[in-house]
Amino acid sequence: MSESITQQKTDETAPTSGGFSFGELIRSPAAGAFFGMIIVFLIFSLFGFQRNFLSVGGLANWMNFASTVGIIAIPVAFLMIAGELDISTGAVLPASAMMLGITSGHYELPMWLGITMTLLMAAGVGLINGLLVTRTQVPSFIVTLATLFAVGGLTLALSDALINNTNVSLYSPDWAKAIFGTRYFGFRTSVFWWLALIVVFFFFLHRSPWGNWVFAVGGDAESARNAGIPVNRLKIWLFILCSVCTALAGICQVVQFNSAQSATFFNMIFFTIIASVVGGVLLNGGFGSVVGVVFGTMTLGIVQQGINYTEIDRNLSLLIIGVMLLIAVLMNGTFQKLATSWSTKKDKG
Amino acid sequence: MKLFKTLTATAVAAVMSSGAMAADIALIIGSNQDSFWNVVKKGAEQAAMVVEANGGSLNILQTQNYDNYGADLATLIEQAVAQGVDGIATVLPAPDAQMPAIHAAIEAGIKVTLLNGGGDFLAESGALNYFGSDEYVAGVAGGKYMAEKGAKHIMCHIQIPGTVNLEARCKGVSDGATEAGAKATILRVPANLDGDVAGTSAAIEAELNGDPSIDAVINLATWAADASSAAIEQLGKTDTVMLGTFDLSPSTLDRIKAGTQAMAIDQTPYYQGFLSVSTLAAHIDFGTKVATAPVLTGPAIVDASNIDATFAGVKAGTR
Repeated sequence: MSESITQQKTDETAPTSGGFSFGELIRSPAAGAFFGMIIVFLIFSLFGFQRNFLSVGGLANWMNFASTVGIIAIPVAFLMIAGELDISTGAVLPASAMMLGITSGHYELPMWLGITMTLLMAAGVGLINGLLVTRTQVPSFIVTLATLFAVGGLTLALSDALINNTNVSLYSPDWAKAIFGTRYFGFRTSVFWWLALIVVFFFFLHRSPWGNWVFAVGGDAESARNAGIPVNRLKIWLFILCSVCTALAGICQVVQFNSAQSATFFNMIFFTIIASVVGGVLLNGGFGSVVGVVFGTMTLGIVQQGINYTEIDRNLSLLIIGVMLLIAVLMNGTFQKLATSWSTKKDKG
Repeated sequence: MKLFKTLTATAVAAVMSSGAMAADIALIIGSNQDSFWNVVKKGAEQAAMVVEANGGSLNILQTQNYDNYGADLATLIEQAVAQGVDGIATVLPAPDAQMPAIHAAIEAGIKVTLLNGGGDFLAESGALNYFGSDEYVAGVAGGKYMAEKGAKHIMCHIQIPGTVNLEARCKGVSDGATEAGAKATILRVPANLDGDVAGTSAAIEAELNGDPSIDAVINLATWAADASSAAIEQLGKTDTVMLGTFDLSPSTLDRIKAGTQAMAIDQTPYYQGFLSVSTLAAHIDFGTKVATAPVLTGPAIVDASNIDATFAGVKAGTR
C-alpha cells in the first residue's frame, strides 16, 4: 500500500526503486500518521485499560465516532490536496439530517424520495461552492465560510417555518435502517460505509488518472491547466463529492438516531481538517494520501473518546486533545523530514 | 434502639456489598463549556465521596457542546456500557436519539436513573427515577410570584419558539399569573435572536415601549434577563417593571442583591447531581429505592429574602 502511495508522489520528483525499502515506507505520507496513531492508542490503552478501553465495545465506541468524521474527511482531504478547502460541511451535515427528517419524517414522503432529495440538495450546495470558487477569485475558505452560514441559517429558518420546531424525529423503514442506521457487531452502519468508501477513494486517488489530476492541480494549477487537465471542472466535482459525502454522513446519523437538530455542527469543520492534517495532508495542497487521512481520523477518534476511559479531570479534555494533536502533527513533520533526508542520501549514493 | 439496628444493618450491608457489588457509576451530562453543569458536577462529586467510601467510583462524561446533542449523548451512554459500569445517571433531552441506547444499557443489566430533563419519559425509559424540575410547574410558580408581588401584566419571553420545554415554561407562567389575577402575554421572538443579547434587548425594549401596561418580564435564560435588564434601564422603568428569570447567573444574583431584579427561578442543579448519583449507588449497593418518582428539585425561588445564603452557595460552587 505504502509503495503505491510513494509512487504517486514521487512520480514527478524521483524515480522509484523496485523492491521494498524502509525509506519508502517512512517516506509515505501515511507513515507519520500511522506511528502517531499507534502512540496515542498505546497511551490510552495504558490509562484507559481499567475501564475497558481495549474491549470490543471500546473499539466500536471510537470507531463509531470516527466513521462519521471519516466519511467527510476524505473528500475534504481531496480538496485540500487540490489546494482548496471546504468548511461548509458543518452546515451541510445538519441540513441533510433535517431535510430527510422533514421530508420523510414530518411530511411522510417515501424514504427513497427523501434520500434522493437530500443528496440532490447537498450536490446543489457543492455545485454552488465549486462554481463560486472557480468563477471568482475569492478563496474557497471564504466562499465556504459564506455557504456555511447561509446553509446553517436557511436550515434553521426553514425548519422553524415548515415544522415550527428546530428538531425533528424520523422513524425509518427496516430497509433504510439496515442500510444506513443499525448496528452490526456493535458497530454502526456508518463504519461499514466508511470502510467501503476508503476502498473506493483509495482507487480514485492513487490508481485512477483523476487522482493524478488532483495532485497535479494542488501542486501547480497553472501547469496542470497547460497540461490539459480540466482544473475548474475537477474542482467543481470535488466540491460536489464533498457535500454529497457529508449528506451521506447526515443521512446515516438521522436514521441511526431517529432524530435531527438544526444547529450548525461547527465542530465537524475542525474534526475533518484535524483528521486530514494529522493524516499528513498539506494545508497548501499537493500532498496527502487516503490511508493517512484514515489514520488521522482514527487518531482523532481515539483521543476524542479515549479521555472518557481515563481518570483525568474532564475540564482538561480539550487541553489534552490539543496537545495530543500537536504531538501527532509534529511527528508527521519529523517523519517527512526524515523521509526527505533518506531519499537525498540515497540519490547521492 | 431501632436506629441502632438500622445503622448496623446498613453497615453490614455496606461491608458485604462493597466486596461483591461496589457501584461504578457514570454520570452523563451536557457540555463542560456550560457553567450550569459545573453545579450538577459539584453535587455529583460530593455524592461520590459516599460512593467511593463504599468501594465504588464515579466517572463523569460530558459532551463538548450542544451541536449534535442527541447523538453525542447516545454515544456517551454506549461508552458507559462499554466501560462496564453498574449504573448510569443521564440527562434525557433527546428521547428519540437516546432511548435505544438507554434500553440497551438496561438490557445489559445496568441500572439507569434520569436527571435534569426528560421526566415525561420516565416510564417509557425504564429508568428508576427522575431528579429535575417540571418546566410547567416552575412556570406556574414564577407567574404566581410576580402576580402576588403586584404585577398586573406579565410578559414571558421565548427565545426559541417551538421548543417544547420553553413553551411549557411560558404556559406555566401564563396559567400561574391568570390564577393570581394578572394578565400574561407570551412574546415569541424570531429564533435567530437566540443568544443575541443586543438584538433581544432591542426587541424587548420595543415591546415595553409599545405596551406600557406591561409591568413584569420573565425570561427563560439568564442571558435574556441581561438583555431585558438593559432594555428596562434604557427606558428608565427600573422602578415600574419587575424582572424575573429562569436559572441563576452571577449577573442575575447581583441584580437581585441590588434590587433591580425581583427573582430567579432555580431548578437546583446541585440536587440533580447529588441525588441522582447517591440514590443510584444506594440502589445498586443496598437495593434501596426512593418511593417518590419523579423527584422535583425545583422550582426554588431566589429573591431578596434568601439572596445571601444563595451567594454562599455560589462561592462554594453549589448554586
